[in-house]
Amino acid sequence: MKDMFIVMKFTMKEMVRRKSFLISTLIILVLIVVGFNVPNLIKKFSGEKSNDKLLIVDNDDVFEGNLEILKQLNTKYEIEIGKATFDEVKQKIENGDIQDAVIVEKEDNTIKSRYVVKNTTMMKEVPEGIINTMNSLYTSLQISKLGLSEEQLKSISPNFEFSLEQTDTERANGNVLVMMIMSMILFFGIYFCVAQISSSITTEKTSKIMETLVTSTSPKNIIWGKTLGIGLIGLCQMVLIVGTAFFSAKAFLDKELLDSVLDMSNITVGLGIITAVYFVLGYLEFALLYALTGSTVSKPEDIQSANMPVAMITVVGFYLSYFTMMNPTSELNQIAGLLPISSPLCMPFRVMMGISGPKDVAISIAILIVTCAIIAKVTIKIYSNAILNYGKKISLKDALKLYKQK
Amino acid sequence: MSLILKNVSKSFAEKQAVDNVSFSLEKPGVYGLLGTNGAGKTTTIRMLLGILKKDSGEITWKGKTVDRKNVNFGYLPEERGVYPKTKIFDQLMYFAELKGMKKDEAVKSINKWAKELKVQEYLPMTAEKLSKGNQQKIQFMTAIIHNPELVVLDEPFSGLDPVNTEILKNIIINLVKNGKYVIMSAHQMATIEEFCENILILNKGKTVLQGNLKEIKETYSANRVEIHVKQDISNYINEYGLTIENEANYNYIIKITEEETAHKLLNKLITSNIQVDKFEIKKPTLNDIFIEKVGE
Repeated sequence: MKDMFIVMKFTMKEMVRRKSFLISTLIILVLIVVGFNVPNLIKKFSGEKSNDKLLIVDNDDVFEGNLEILKQLNTKYEIEIGKATFDEVKQKIENGDIQDAVIVEKEDNTIKSRYVVKNTTMMKEVPEGIINTMNSLYTSLQISKLGLSEEQLKSISPNFEFSLEQTDTERANGNVLVMMIMSMILFFGIYFCVAQISSSITTEKTSKIMETLVTSTSPKNIIWGKTLGIGLIGLCQMVLIVGTAFFSAKAFLDKELLDSVLDMSNITVGLGIITAVYFVLGYLEFALLYALTGSTVSKPEDIQSANMPVAMITVVGFYLSYFTMMNPTSELNQIAGLLPISSPLCMPFRVMMGISGPKDVAISIAILIVTCAIIAKVTIKIYSNAILNYGKKISLKDALKLYKQK
Repeated sequence: MSLILKNVSKSFAEKQAVDNVSFSLEKPGVYGLLGTNGAGKTTTIRMLLGILKKDSGEITWKGKTVDRKNVNFGYLPEERGVYPKTKIFDQLMYFAELKGMKKDEAVKSINKWAKELKVQEYLPMTAEKLSKGNQQKIQFMTAIIHNPELVVLDEPFSGLDPVNTEILKNIIINLVKNGKYVIMSAHQMATIEEFCENILILNKGKTVLQGNLKEIKETYSANRVEIHVKQDISNYINEYGLTIENEANYNYIIKITEEETAHKLLNKLITSNIQVDKFEIKKPTLNDIFIEKVGE
């Protein structure tokens, strides 16, 4: 146990001293802070931008002077009402006095409206909100001329009430986007850490220090020490990244914008604990697999090909959980919540959605723990016999032979 | 007896790496473990260090079965290795702590051995900045830092310059004086002859020769004579039906089967008024014995 902590401490020191680790972490943090500041930076460089000016031209007095009401509406435009010819409108747009214009004209009994912009290739959208409001305004104007009673008015404006109902018995709550982001952070957090394990083990084989190390402590202590050391650093790095992102979002983003995109109301302390448990178990599971592949090669250039099968399993687990999140009540998502390769990423999501209860979580964690225990047993056995093997990469067949070896 | 290996065997798949090997270390000293590449030396060493499980046999240290957990031997592997990007002091501390030393003890020991091996100035440096020879001295420190009772040294002098070889030799001599047991594996037979009282030669996993080196050599009769003269004596040598193995500047190494023939040749040279500066009948060297035993 003491040796395991010594290995863990040494591994942690080695990792935080590495320039590549420090620089990459720093770059990520800077990118996060800068990323959350992009809206502010755009504002700063382009100045405090006022609303676009929209001129509504009603030469034929179609709205009988009632268009002024539009100015009181909360739109993204600064609305001007006036009379002008098309050429005058054109000139105003060219001069930058206004950005866009709506020209309302009456031809015989037809009312036409033209939306005029400087250049259509600028992907300008027709201001539907304004157009709809103008339509309603015109309709109200005409109805008021008919002299209808209040009841007659009610009967032609039914004011439908719409509600959303589902036929499935299971109901998913919460913000899918939040969980997808969390799932991606978990995946990359786990993936980044486990890749370090395999490279650390191969480096020890390459530098031939393994022979000295293995006479100083047992392979079991080396594996657990490394796994825990790298895992703790990874966890700290993740906390730092998520914390920076959280505080940057709070400090630099508009609160309304943030709330509209990321509804954090379903993120509770309990969910945080469950997510942390799944992160640890998921990390352990893949870390041990990567330790196994790392011990089967002696050259750094062989790591990638040795890691390929485990990387495939990791990616399959990720996609299985990620894509089934689109349909969280599906059977596939239920299976993904139990399968040990996908449950660390999927189950916290299901818990947040309220579609998995404590029983499901307990079963899923039990499966994950048993899987970790089996992988740990096999890995430590193969690792013990493989670390002193130098030369060509060990195949799966050779690995099985090593497992059977005393 | 301190270390006993009794009928130890180990095989990998179909290959018998070590076959029924037995030897023991009775008192402090240097024991020579010899063999060609792939003879089974490293496997034997790994088994006695407890890092590789044997298939059969018994290995005990002071009466207790050797297990990784109950022994704390020192080991300098043939494969030289250090953490390239870690400071020397830090890696020595790491191994010292893994070998059960307390921090202050470890610091004292590191400073003591760094002084003896003349590597103090390298302690704050990363290993990649050191020469191979200095890296090897650091690894030697790793093997002895915790003051082990038994040290296994696999090719300790390979790659070292004469000055550093001398430093290391003196340390090994002092280790033995201080009651340590040393198992040395080397390909330089002269080194083994210099240090080892007892040896074991392995070939294809099997013991082909073992015992006290002096006694082994005594069982061999003389097989060469070295004669140094000031003129060509090849005619006289041929006259007695002898073969010249080597000749340089009238220094002849001649193969003999009987010592008597060498004496006859010497008499002949003297009676022929040839000045003989050197005449030495030689017993086979360890190198000769090794080649005889393991040469195909």
